[in-house]
Amino acid sequence: MARVKQVSEHGAEGGVERVYHELRRTMRVTGVDVSLRTWAAYPRFFVAMWEAMEPNVETRAFEEAALGLWQEVLDSTVRWEVLGAWNAAKLGPSQRFHARGALELYEAMQPRVLLMVSAVRMALEGQVVGQPGSLGTLERLERGIPSRMAAMEWVVEKPADAALRSVFADIVKTVGPPGVPGEYRALACWPSYLETAWRRLKPRMKDEDFQAVADRLLESARRRARALPYPVALSRERVAALGEDADAVLKVTQALERRSPALLLNLSRLVQDVPDMLRQPMPGASRLVPDWVAAEELR
Amino acid sequence: MNWREWQERQEVAELGNRFLSYVDWGSGPPVVLLHGIPTWSYLWSGIAPGLAVSNRVLAPDLLGYGFSDKRDKFDRSIARQAEAVEAWLDRLGVVDATVVGHDVGGGVALQLAVRFPRRVGRLCLMDSVCYDAWPKGLMAQLGTPGLARRLTPERLTRFLTPALKRKGFATRQTAELLEGLLAPYATEVGMVSLSRDAVALNTNHTQELASKLGHLAVPTLVLWGEKDGLLPAKFGERLAWDIPGARCVKVPQAGHFLMWDAPHAVAMELFDFLERAAPVSHVPRRSVAEELFGSEAPV
Repeated sequence: MARVKQVSEHGAEGGVERVYHELRRTMRVTGVDVSLRTWAAYPRFFVAMWEAMEPNVETRAFEEAALGLWQEVLDSTVRWEVLGAWNAAKLGPSQRFHARGALELYEAMQPRVLLMVSAVRMALEGQVVGQPGSLGTLERLERGIPSRMAAMEWVVEKPADAALRSVFADIVKTVGPPGVPGEYRALACWPSYLETAWRRLKPRMKDEDFQAVADRLLESARRRARALPYPVALSRERVAALGEDADAVLKVTQALERRSPALLLNLSRLVQDVPDMLRQPMPGASRLVPDWVAAEELR
Repeated sequence: MNWREWQERQEVAELGNRFLSYVDWGSGPPVVLLHGIPTWSYLWSGIAPGLAVSNRVLAPDLLGYGFSDKRDKFDRSIARQAEAVEAWLDRLGVVDATVVGHDVGGGVALQLAVRFPRRVGRLCLMDSVCYDAWPKGLMAQLGTPGLARRLTPERLTRFLTPALKRKGFATRQTAELLEGLLAPYATEVGMVSLSRDAVALNTNHTQELASKLGHLAVPTLVLWGEKDGLLPAKFGERLAWDIPGARCVKVPQAGHFLMWDAPHAVAMELFDFLERAAPVSHVPRRSVAEELFGSEAPV
């Protein structure tokens, strides 16, 4: 697959900048993840994708679907051997505080990203996604980033440090394209921790039962995406009509979806390896807006 | 000591929704080391181990700097930094300390001495921002939103490295120093944070102190790099004239980063100061509200 240049938050402009802003506020996270930055390389698709997904993403139903998916992930890995990377890595108290914050952030975000990616992939393949609900009729969540959530900080995809570059290359080779996943770039702020964790995560990924669980999670994500409360009005034809390369968009989306369950399983192992994970922003508060405001926003 | 070893020593203190990373080393009378811009507490790594033999060395990364909170959501002015340092010392149970400030950290130290005098038993100012001697062109430029918007972490490093190599910053430049100083700012979050730090540099916050320096009743040492090309030694002399009983010592062969250029000489001057100058005695300290509003503090 051809390399896709991600759009940084700092470098985003126009419609992409607006969608980034809305994504952060609606998903209640401090940054925009790699998957979404990769989509943003196709700006007209990206804006259309958000218009199609936003009514779902801001609902309680979407959050509960993501929480349910994450619970499945945790249940699948809870009996697996303890990773032991947290205790093995040589980290100081401040470094542990930051690393824990990064894991909490990705734990809150990645299940929702998988739901989005699955929904978009199916819509692009012509499947019916979402229920024929009437927009704005379901409970919506209050927007805004939790005040204590960690910043989405990560190292560049091609770091100067050769050892780290090599770990990144191995990660992409193992999990698949289109780039180094955000949680690994975040953990790379503490290279020894990332290296220790990856050395312990990778062998398990080759096991048959790991693959079987990943396949089950993918099916679960698709099932949950199909059951989203509102229709996802997106198609290859629409993407092509917007002037984007619909085949390239579909390929990227398929690649993102393909690797996400395995990434979630690894994230779950990383999270369960760390004591005192506290700063979960879910469940979010209800958004109390008058109907006419909701109608205007959804217009 | 390289920057990663220093970072491993850092602890973290949560102050409401913000947090400070800091090094707490040794035991004895507390000595607080406050860094400037564009640095972080690592700047003190050359003299901290020696000081820690007979003192409790407390070296925080100021808000928005190093590995303290770098989220884009708060004021980083020296006035606000002084309040954060005060709250942090309160959290650590440090009633009063010898406060050593360099560059912007000197401005923070002055704010502390004027606004929270009971926190400051002795004061040492090193190549400190003061009066209208700052901000300097380089940092003022970095804070310009237009420039910040065009920066990337790589460009920031390319922008700062030659600037820091220029005569006047440090006469003893090493790759280790440069890499260490810029390490926390080599990410998108770090880069934006440094830009916000730069835009918070405000002459008014030192000018407002000018008329109050004559009322400071704290033993004060002014240490200045003789070859400082950024903040000339005449400002150190002026500080020593204005602060009652202050003594100005120029460190030969040292630039702006004098603790890096001449760690031995700086440490010796500090030890001499700590030994000779008795800290001012303090009555039990009042609350922040009382400090700010007097005894009739709003409830």
